[in-house]
Amino acid sequence: MIEYILMIVAVLGAVIALTQRDLLKTAILTGIPGAAIAFLFQFLLAPDVALTQAIVGTAIVPVFFALAVKKTLRMEEE
Amino acid sequence: MIIDPQLGSFFTAGALIIIGLFAALFIDNLIKKVIGLLFIADGVNLFIVTMGYKAGGIVYVFLPGMTVDWFAQNASYPLPFALVLTSIVIGASTLAVMLSLIIILYKKHGSIKASKILGEKGNQTQSKTPGDKI
Repeated sequence: MIEYILMIVAVLGAVIALTQRDLLKTAILTGIPGAAIAFLFQFLLAPDVALTQAIVGTAIVPVFFALAVKKTLRMEEE
Repeated sequence: MIIDPQLGSFFTAGALIIIGLFAALFIDNLIKKVIGLLFIADGVNLFIVTMGYKAGGIVYVFLPGMTVDWFAQNASYPLPFALVLTSIVIGASTLAVMLSLIIILYKKHGSIKASKILGEKGNQTQSKTPGDKI
């Protein structure tokens, strides 16, 4: 049952992250599909991939995006 | 449940690839384009891991007490997992390269909109006609 919740969370998190106008919110919300996919890897019998995806997708990737947003514009231009 | 977890994971991977393609093609912000490429990479990794899944199986660790035949019938297929492990790390490093190129483009053009960087129409071939400045 948890697998289906994680699948829905992954897809909805991706959609919500792409519809924000504040790019810092986008950068932080990018971690939600990464975390959901990491738990999904654990349920798909791949614990080593789940460990790597949990670190890379939840911690490193949002920090990279936040640094890029800090160096460029924060709000999306019209 | 009507669908098993393997089929549901395939649908999730397909949905992530479609969302990423839409973002990379139709959103005008360069950072959101890069996020779309990241979702495509996540979807492909999920697809490859799902192919190695075996319903009702065990993690591919050979413990004492197992026979080789029983292990071969019940363990999930470990080769795609080892390759996806490499793919995730390489994806993070290429993401860093893409974001640094975006920062260089912002310092040069003062904008992170693709249409503003490429010109109004989005094509640069018209400016090469003779008699046209720049």
